[in-house]
Amino acid sequence: MSEPRPTNPPEVIDDGLLDSAYTSLSRRRFLQAAGFTFVGAMVYGCARAPEEELLPLLEQPEGMVPGRADYYATTCGGCAAGCGILAKSRDGRPIKLEGNPEHPISKGGLCAVGQASLLGLYDSHRYRAPVRDGEESDWARVDAEIREHLDRFARSGAKVRYLSAVVNSPTKQRAIDDFLSRFRDARHVMYDPARGTAILDAYEETHGARVVPHIHLDRARIIVGFDADFLGTWISPVEFTRDYTAARRADRDGTTFSRHLQFESTLSITGAKADQRYRVAPSSRVAVLSQLAAAVARKAGRPYRRSENATDSLPQGLIEEVADELWVHRGESVVLCGADDLTAQLICNFINDALGNYGRTLDLDRPSFQVQGSEAQLEEVLGEIAAGKVDLLIVDGVNPLLDLPGKGAGAAELAKIRLIISFAQRPDESSALAHYICPDHHYLESWSDTEMVQGVVGFTQPLIRPLGDTRQVVETLAAWSGKERSARAQLQERWGTGRQWEQRLHNGFVKKSAASFRVGGFRTAPVFAARAEKFSRGDGFELVLYTKAGMPNAGHAFNPWLHELPDPITKAVWDNYARLSPAAAERIGLSQGDVVSISLPTGESVELPVLVQAGQHDNVVAVAMGYGAEASRRFESMGPSWIEKKPTVGDNGLVGVSATPLVVRGSSGRRFSGTQVRLHATGRKSELALTQDYQSIDVPAHLAPASGARRPNIQESTVAALAVSESSHSAPHHKGDLWPEDHEYTGHHWGMTIDLTACTGCGGCVVACQVENNVPVVGKDEVRRNREMHWIRIDRYFSGSGDDLTVAHQPMMCHQCDNAPCETVCPVLATVHSEEGLNEQIYNRCVGTRYCMNNCPYKVRRFNWFEYSRDDAYENLTLNPDVTVRSRGVMEKCSFCAQRIHEAKAEARRGGRPLADGDIRTACQQSCPAQAIVFGDMNDAQSEVAASISSRRHYRVLEEINVKPSVGYLQLVRNREDGEGRDHHDG
Amino acid sequence: MDQTPLILGDKTPGDVTNDISRLLEGRPTALWWMAFLAALSLLGLGAVAVTYQIATGIGVWGLNNTVGWAFDITNFVFWIGIGHAGTLISAVLFLFRQRWRTSVNRAAEAMTIFAVMCAGLFPLIHMGRPWFAYWMFPYPNGRGPLWVNFRSPLVWDFFAIATYFSISLAFWYLGMVPDLAAVRDRAKGIWKKRIMGFVSLGWNGSYRTWMRYETLYLLLAGLATPLVISVHTIVSWDFATSVIPGWHTTIFPPYFVAGAVFSGMAMVLTLMLIARKTMHLEDYITKTHVGAMTKLILLTGSIVGLSYATEFFVAAYSGNEFEQFVFLNRAMGPFAWAYWTMVACNVITPQLFWIRRVRENFVFVFILTLFVNVGMWFERYVLIVTSLHRDYLPASWAGYSPSLVELATLLGSFGLFFTLFLIFIRFVPVIAMAEVKGVLSIGRRRKNAA
Repeated sequence: MSEPRPTNPPEVIDDGLLDSAYTSLSRRRFLQAAGFTFVGAMVYGCARAPEEELLPLLEQPEGMVPGRADYYATTCGGCAAGCGILAKSRDGRPIKLEGNPEHPISKGGLCAVGQASLLGLYDSHRYRAPVRDGEESDWARVDAEIREHLDRFARSGAKVRYLSAVVNSPTKQRAIDDFLSRFRDARHVMYDPARGTAILDAYEETHGARVVPHIHLDRARIIVGFDADFLGTWISPVEFTRDYTAARRADRDGTTFSRHLQFESTLSITGAKADQRYRVAPSSRVAVLSQLAAAVARKAGRPYRRSENATDSLPQGLIEEVADELWVHRGESVVLCGADDLTAQLICNFINDALGNYGRTLDLDRPSFQVQGSEAQLEEVLGEIAAGKVDLLIVDGVNPLLDLPGKGAGAAELAKIRLIISFAQRPDESSALAHYICPDHHYLESWSDTEMVQGVVGFTQPLIRPLGDTRQVVETLAAWSGKERSARAQLQERWGTGRQWEQRLHNGFVKKSAASFRVGGFRTAPVFAARAEKFSRGDGFELVLYTKAGMPNAGHAFNPWLHELPDPITKAVWDNYARLSPAAAERIGLSQGDVVSISLPTGESVELPVLVQAGQHDNVVAVAMGYGAEASRRFESMGPSWIEKKPTVGDNGLVGVSATPLVVRGSSGRRFSGTQVRLHATGRKSELALTQDYQSIDVPAHLAPASGARRPNIQESTVAALAVSESSHSAPHHKGDLWPEDHEYTGHHWGMTIDLTACTGCGGCVVACQVENNVPVVGKDEVRRNREMHWIRIDRYFSGSGDDLTVAHQPMMCHQCDNAPCETVCPVLATVHSEEGLNEQIYNRCVGTRYCMNNCPYKVRRFNWFEYSRDDAYENLTLNPDVTVRSRGVMEKCSFCAQRIHEAKAEARRGGRPLADGDIRTACQQSCPAQAIVFGDMNDAQSEVAASISSRRHYRVLEEINVKPSVGYLQLVRNREDGEGRDHHDG
Repeated sequence: MDQTPLILGDKTPGDVTNDISRLLEGRPTALWWMAFLAALSLLGLGAVAVTYQIATGIGVWGLNNTVGWAFDITNFVFWIGIGHAGTLISAVLFLFRQRWRTSVNRAAEAMTIFAVMCAGLFPLIHMGRPWFAYWMFPYPNGRGPLWVNFRSPLVWDFFAIATYFSISLAFWYLGMVPDLAAVRDRAKGIWKKRIMGFVSLGWNGSYRTWMRYETLYLLLAGLATPLVISVHTIVSWDFATSVIPGWHTTIFPPYFVAGAVFSGMAMVLTLMLIARKTMHLEDYITKTHVGAMTKLILLTGSIVGLSYATEFFVAAYSGNEFEQFVFLNRAMGPFAWAYWTMVACNVITPQLFWIRRVRENFVFVFILTLFVNVGMWFERYVLIVTSLHRDYLPASWAGYSPSLVELATLLGSFGLFFTLFLIFIRFVPVIAMAEVKGVLSIGRRRKNAA
C-alpha cells in the first residue's frame, strides 16, 4: 500500500527539527525537557520566563517534577473571538488546551475549534522553512530578496495590498501599519471567509463607527434572534453561550429565566435552544424585522417609515406579541441579526434603539473588535487585482483563491500580480501561487496580544520553541521594515516589562481602564432610506450559506478532529451537504444522499449530497462553507484499510465541496443568503456519514407501543410548570433489591450531572475528551458504519416538525453504573468496579468479546475494530502520556477522566489536605462553555454535584432498569407556555 | 403384534456388515470426490476469511458500536443447536428404547461432534484478541488474583461446551468400538488392520466385552442426557441474563432447547436423506425412520411456534414499553423480512408434517428440512440483531449488514462441517452395524414361521 505524503514526511522528525519535542527520550533529552518546562515555572505558577531564546537547561532545577504538567495562560488562536486558554504543558510540549476560568470574556469556556486548534501546532504538513518559488529556502536569502523587491516597490510607488483575516492584535496591527507606511499606495484589507460586514456597515450608518457592540446576553430578559447563530458560530459563541446560560438557570427563581425567540431559515444550534422558533426565509427577513420595528416604534411613540410585506406566513398576531414582550422588557432585551444584509441590520439597530438596549444589553462604549473588515474595500482590491493593477499582494491567514468567488480571485488573475508573498502556515490553494512563502508560527509558538473587546486584552505566549524554521508575521514585517525586533520586544513595548508584565502574562489578559470608545447618537435616517434587497421568490430555492460550529472556515480543513466532530445539528461528519427540509426534499423527489446540483442563474453550480433537515424552511437550501479545501487532500487514505473500505474524501479527492462558487458578489459585498438557485437531481448517490441514524425522540409511529411513542430519556419542563410544582418528576419507586449491596462506597463516590437546559450540544466536550483521552480519528467510512470512537456522544433528538420542532441535546457517556451490566458479563474481569464507583476498563486484560458493549443499555462503549493509525509522529505529540493508547481488539469508554482523579488525589495528598470539591474537573466539564456538566463526589453532601442531584429537575436515564447510573441529568426547561409547541413531557 | 420392519430387505447380520463395510473399502465415488472438493473449497474460503480477519481486526465484519454481535454468535448458536439432535438421538432415545434410532445414531453423533467443532470456532474467532482466548480458562497464573468472572454467562458457556464436546466425543467413540473391530476383521491391508486394531481397543466380541460395553454405553447415555437440556439452556443465558429488551426473557431455556432439537433433527434428516440416496442405504433408512424424525420436528417446531407467540404475549402483558417495542420492531421494523422468513420456515413449514403423504415423500421432506435449517439460522439472527440494533436510546440505534468476510466465514463453517462429515463417511461405518443387527427382522420372522 502506498501512502502519498505531499510534504514533510514524519521521518523528518529525526533530523533534529523537533528537538524540543523529545521524540526519542534519552536521559539527557528528558532533563532538557524538564528544564525547559521550568523556565516558565520559575517566574510564578503559570508565567513564562523572560528569556529571549528558549534554551533548555542542562541541570534539573529544584522543584521541577518530571511528568507533572504546567499550565500557561494564553489566548486561543482558533478564531477572532480570542478566548482565554490555559495550555497544559507536559515535558515541554503543549498537549491540551483548557478554558481559562478567570478570563473576562470566555470565562473558562472553550469551543471545539479552540480545543482542536492544538493539532495545528503538530501538523506534519506545515511549512518548515520559508519557500522561494516552490523550493525550500532560508530566511537570510528570502529576506534579502524580498527587501530588494520592497525597496523597488517603495521607490516606484507600486500598489501594495495586504490581505488578511481579522486582526485584533494591536501589536500586529501596528506592525502592519508600520510596514505599509513605506509605500505610497498601500492598503490593508481584512475579511472573514464566511461572513460579510453588513453589521459594521449598519453601525457605521446608525452610530458613525465601524464596530459591533459588545453583547451582554446575561443582562437580557428576552432575546430575539434573526439568523444569528450566537451560540454556535456568530462573533463570540463561547462568551455568548456562557452569558446566555447564566440568565437561564432554572433552579433559581423562575422569573429570572430569560426568554429566547429565534427566527431563522435553517436550524442552527441557537435555534435548537430557543424557547420558540419560527422559520423565515431570507426573502422575508427584512419584512418580518420591519413589521417588528413598526410594532415596537408604535409602542415607543417613534415614527417608523417603512413598510414591507412578508411572504412567509407567521402565526396571526405573533409580531405584535413579540413586540409586547420586548417592550415590557425594554432595556433588558436584545434583538440580534446575524444576516449579511445591511437593511436587516439597520432595522435591527432601530429596534434595539427604540427599546433602549444600547448602553445596557448592547455596549457600544466598549465595543467588540471580533468583527472587522470592509466588504467595500475588499471589493475594490479584487477589482484592482482583476484589472491587473496590483504589484505586491501579501496574504496573511486567508486563502483568497478558495475563499473568494468571481473576478479578482481567480488563479489567472492572481498570477498577473508581480509579487505574491504568503504567510501561510501550511500549503493551501493561494500559497501555491505565492512567489515567497514566509510561514507564520502557530499561535502556541507566538507572542501576541488580542483586543477582542475594547478594554480587554488577551496575551499569547509561546508554549514551545518553534517546531520548524518559521517566523512570526510581526517579526517578518519588522525585518522587512528594517527595524528588526522580536515579537516579544514589540509586545513589551506596548505592555511594559518587569513585574507587571509577568503578572499580565501569568493572568493571560489585562483589563484596561482606557477611555471608552466614542460613538455618535442614533441616526434614524439610514434605516428608512435603505432599500430592501430585491428577492424574487421564483419556483426555485433560496440559498443559505452558513458555517458549521466545527468548521469556521477552510483554514481548519487540515484538522481531522474537527472533521470527525459530529455537526451539532445534523450529526454528519467529514462532509458538507445540501440541507433541505423534509417537505422540500419530497417536493423535488430527492432523499438523503442523492447528489443534487445547485446552480445559480449565472451558471455556477456545485454538486452536493442532500441531507434532509427537520426544522428548515421549505424554500431554503442550506450549504456549509469551509469545505473542499486542498488541505483536506491529505485525508485520501484516512481510516483503517481493508477490503470493503470506502474513502473518506469525495470524488474530488477532498473533504466536501467548496461552496464559494455560490457566493454572489454585489455592490454591497458578498452575499451569503437569499440567492435564488435551482436544484437538479444528478442521479448519483453519495452516502453521508452520520453518528446518529435515528433522529426523533419518538419511535416510529407504526412500531409504537400502546403506552406512546415517546421515549422517556429526555425529560422536559417549562419555567411555568417548575414554578407551580415542588417536584416536577417522580422518581420511579424503588422496591429494594433482592441482592445485598455489592459496593459500599465508604470513601468517594464519583458522580456527574448534566444540565440539559444549559447544554447547547456544541461539541466542545467531544473534542476536549478526544484530546484528553487519546481517542483515535477513524474516518468517514468507519463513522458511516457506526464505529466512531468518541467517548461522548451528544444525542440530538427532534420532536414535532416545522415551526413546532423542538430539539434536545443529551450528552451520553459511560454512566459508571453501580449495578453495571457490563461488569457482570465480562468473562475475564476486564471491566470491574472501583471502590469509588468507577467502572474501570482494563485494556490489557480485555479479550474483546464485546458482550459488555451489547449489554450496555446506553451503548456508550467503544470497540477498537482495527489498529487505528498512529503513524504521524508529529500528531502523536498531542497524546496524553497519562492515558493508554489502546490497541485493536479491546473495548474502551469514558473513564470519568480517571487520570485526573488520580492526579488530583495525589496533589491533595502531597499538600496534606483533603481532596476538595472542584479539585477534579473532567475534560468535558472543564471547558464546557455552558457549564452544563458538574462532576464530584456524591458522598460529599456539600459538593456541587450533590446539590445538583438534589435538584427537583434531576433524573437519571433508564433508572427503571436499576443499573443505578452515576450520571444524572437536569430536565430541559423551556420558557414557553405549555400550549406552545408540543406538549412537554415530564417523565 | 405386527410391525413394519425397521430394516428392509430381509438382511442377515452378515449382510449388514457387508453392506456397511463395503462403503469404506472401495474407492470413493466421483460424487464423493465432487462433494469433498466443494466442501474443501468452502473450508479454504473460510480459512482465508478468518485469517484475514484475525490479521486485520474484527472491523472486517459488518458489526458496529450498537450491534456488537451478529453473524458470529448467530452461527455459534446455530451450530450448537444442530449438535443437539445427535445427543438426543443417541442418548435420550437410547434410554427410551427407541429402536429406530439405530440406523441414524452414528451419523447423528458424528454430526454433533462436527457441529460443536464449528460452533466452538465462533466464540474463539469473534474475540477482538483471539490469541488471549485461553484467559477464559481458570488456570493458576502469575497474574496475582486474576481469575475468570464466574458471573459471566460466557464463562458458563465455555464450560458447557467443553463438557458437551468431551462427553459427545467419548460417547460416539465408545459406540463405534464394536464396528471398528468389524472393520479390522475385514481389513486387507496391514496398516489398516493395525490402525483399526489399535482404535478398536482389542475388542474380541466376548460376552464379557459386550456386557462391559453395554453397561458403559448406558452410563454414558445417562451422562449425556442432561447435556441435551443444559448446554442450550446455558447458551440461552448469554441472552437471558442481559438487560437488553428482547434478550432479557425467562422463556429462553426451554425455547432454545426445543429450537435446538428442532434444527438438529432437520439437519440429521438432511444429511441422512443425502446419505441414503448416494450411498444406497434405502434398506437401512426407511419410512419408519424418516416418519419418526418428522414427527419430532413437528413436535419441536410447534413448541418453537408457541414460544414465538408467548414472547409476544409476555411483551404485551408486561407493560414494558421497551419490550413491546422490540417485538413490534421485529415484526414490522427494518428486519421484518428476516423475522417473517423465520416464521415461515419454523412455524408454517413443520405443520405440513401433519400430512402423511408429505412425511412419506422424501423429496418433500428433504426440501422442508432445508427450510427448517434456514429458518433456525434466521431465528438466531433475528434474536441477536433485532434486539441489539434498536434498544433503549433511539440515538444509538443502528443498522447492520454483513460484510463479505462474514459471509465467507459462514460458508467456511459449512465447508468445515461437510469436509469432516465426508471424511467420516469414508473412514468410519456410517451406520452402527452392531446396533442395527439387534433390530433386524430375522428373529421375528422365524418366530412368526414357528
